[in-house]
Amino acid sequence: MAIGEIKKTSYSIPVGPIHPALKEPVRLDLTIDGEKVIDVDVVLGHIHRGIEWLGMNRNNPIQTLYLAERICGICNICHPYAFVMAVEHATEIVPPLRAEYIRAIICELERIHSHMLWAGVAAHEIGFDTVFYIAWRVRENVMDLIEYITGNRITKGIFTIGGMRRDITEEQYPTIRKCLDYYKGIYDQLGKIFLNDRTIIMRTKNVGILSKEDALKLLTVGPTGRASGVAKDVRQDQPYGSYADLGIKAQTPDLLTGTVVGDVYDRIIVRLLEIKQSIGIIEQCLEKMPSGPILAEPKVARMLNTLKKTEGEGIGRAEAPRGEVFHYVRLESGRDTLATWKVRAPTYANLMAIPKILIGGQIADVPIAFASVDPCLSCTNRVVLIERKTNRKSYLTDKDLHELSVGKTRKLKC
Amino acid sequence: MAILSPQAVVDSFKTIIGDSLIDSRIYEQPVAVKKNIFRTIWLTVKREAFRKAIEHICKLQQYPHLAVISMADRGDNIELIYHFTIYFAQQLQELSLGLRVLVPKSDPRIPTITDLIPGAIFTEREAQEMIGVEVVGIPDNRRLFLPDDFPKGVCPWRTDEKGLKPDMLRVLPGRQPKSG
Amino acid sequence: MNLTAFKRALWVYHLNTGSCNGCDIEILAALTPRYDVERFGIRLVGTPRHADVLLVTGPVIKQMVPRLRRIYEQTPDPKAVLVIGSCGSEGGVFYESYNLAGPIDQIIPVDVYIPGCPPRPEAIIEGVAKAWVKLEMVQKQGGK
Repeated sequence: MAIGEIKKTSYSIPVGPIHPALKEPVRLDLTIDGEKVIDVDVVLGHIHRGIEWLGMNRNNPIQTLYLAERICGICNICHPYAFVMAVEHATEIVPPLRAEYIRAIICELERIHSHMLWAGVAAHEIGFDTVFYIAWRVRENVMDLIEYITGNRITKGIFTIGGMRRDITEEQYPTIRKCLDYYKGIYDQLGKIFLNDRTIIMRTKNVGILSKEDALKLLTVGPTGRASGVAKDVRQDQPYGSYADLGIKAQTPDLLTGTVVGDVYDRIIVRLLEIKQSIGIIEQCLEKMPSGPILAEPKVARMLNTLKKTEGEGIGRAEAPRGEVFHYVRLESGRDTLATWKVRAPTYANLMAIPKILIGGQIADVPIAFASVDPCLSCTNRVVLIERKTNRKSYLTDKDLHELSVGKTRKLKC
Repeated sequence: MAILSPQAVVDSFKTIIGDSLIDSRIYEQPVAVKKNIFRTIWLTVKREAFRKAIEHICKLQQYPHLAVISMADRGDNIELIYHFTIYFAQQLQELSLGLRVLVPKSDPRIPTITDLIPGAIFTEREAQEMIGVEVVGIPDNRRLFLPDDFPKGVCPWRTDEKGLKPDMLRVLPGRQPKSG
Repeated sequence: MNLTAFKRALWVYHLNTGSCNGCDIEILAALTPRYDVERFGIRLVGTPRHADVLLVTGPVIKQMVPRLRRIYEQTPDPKAVLVIGSCGSEGGVFYESYNLAGPIDQIIPVDVYIPGCPPRPEAIIEGVAKAWVKLEMVQKQGGK
């Protein structure tokens, strides 16, 4: 090697499962050149529990409903919702109107809680632990409200085929309104914290850009797609539940800033706008709540009997906090279990966009760019640095990757 | 792109692929107070006309939205349903389209659609490992969800000899297996 | 009860072997200002080598078995292993799946079980307190 000639080597980093900040394991294999990421490969499978197989071979449909709730602990209203919709389309059971409005309220409460959770995690990835604690403290209010209405904080068990298991009565309205007023009161403060802070702007603007064309080709859904200008929103596009009556509009960043860039900053904007939209939807539902029963078929045994005799197939699509969740159900007459059940969670689609988001950026941006997609999977734990030429392995821990990200913030601050 | 009614969409398929359209069904359900209609079309096409049908969907909607490929073991055939939606991003106009194609177990191959829809790669990989179809021309042949040491040739969603054996199920100590 | 064996508060390491995230969210909620275990000094660390307590969730997926073992071995003694949630205790709703390697006590020894789907943050805090008491007793008796 002559003097002055620098040899370029590219390293491959498998960013292994588990993240100290939470959620499920996924592995990212990053190929880097210096500080830049040049290729990404996503390796899944670390939480494959065979849920669809269990639903088709072990459970009857009512038991499968509770299994569907435990597909994900954060969005555990939209999975039962889509499943119940699919079964209702297959069996032509029509849920009563009051049940549809209650469903929308619970769905929107879950959206608020999920976006606040995401806001805290994103702040933690940048290094703002104070904002992480603020966001999660603010989230506790909506968790209390969810517990007040449904009885539990996380796995609520409130959906059933043909309606809902619990009602929202008039006495509960004042508590709901009080919680919504609290969020309306701090909404501007949240906006200031997340959108006007100089460091957040420096760390998130023009980072992790996904163009509109890529988002359409790679079938990106949810806030990730909307931040790139793809205005897909199942509540707006296809009539389901009571959303069809409410005139929902997909929230894209140009509603606030006038332009669409598709970076991490835009995704923060979309999620904050959606919190405001959810508060508005809940208020509308409370005003327009129709009276009547909440169950099309109150007796569970009779419902199971009807399901056993039905022959049909149906699909259910719901808008989860992360995007479109899709369930397909086929029932066969005479069979206890479901004949076919296919689930498509929104992160399944958004993961295909991860390479486009991460390539061209720096390693220190990987945690925030990955977290901005709001994967219902966890990011990183062990980072193994393999030097291609000599195959020498050196181990970095998850702490190091997180510190790389926090270190970049500190560098920008000085 | 004009928005066609469900019947017009079905008729356009008949024009393009003729007899290869074996069956079609339109499902409509009014929803909630204002009674807007949730619409789904179910089509069954022959494998020979599958690529043409996909190209036609791409003409009805630029970058159609593919949710997932669902699969089932139907005795001698494997049934694949491609769940599309078209006319998205507009108020209450979206139309779901389920394209069913039967693939015989004696020749379980289906052409890939990743050249038209790059986002189909994950769901095609899953179909390969879970039910054992071979997607011809797939750019990435690796397993998606199953571990690398899962026995080759075993496909969890099959109910024939390629399916799961009872000793592969994790029955907890002291319990009897419920499934099967 | 006078807790004297540990000169500093417990540091915990959280590990997910394939759960639905519900228990993981409740663990993190226990750290946030509402329940605030940080005022006792209990801290979430990023590496098992600094940890005293392992919080493990999830029914163990086959791909995660070698990692679970490795993390258990990397944690220095004295340590306590807490299993959080029904999935880890006995499979939860995922029993009979083909991708499971059994509940957590089939792979590593467990000290405290916290059942629930998911358990509330208060239950998790009580579980950690029980683990602390158990570790104290082990220290006083001169190690395992």
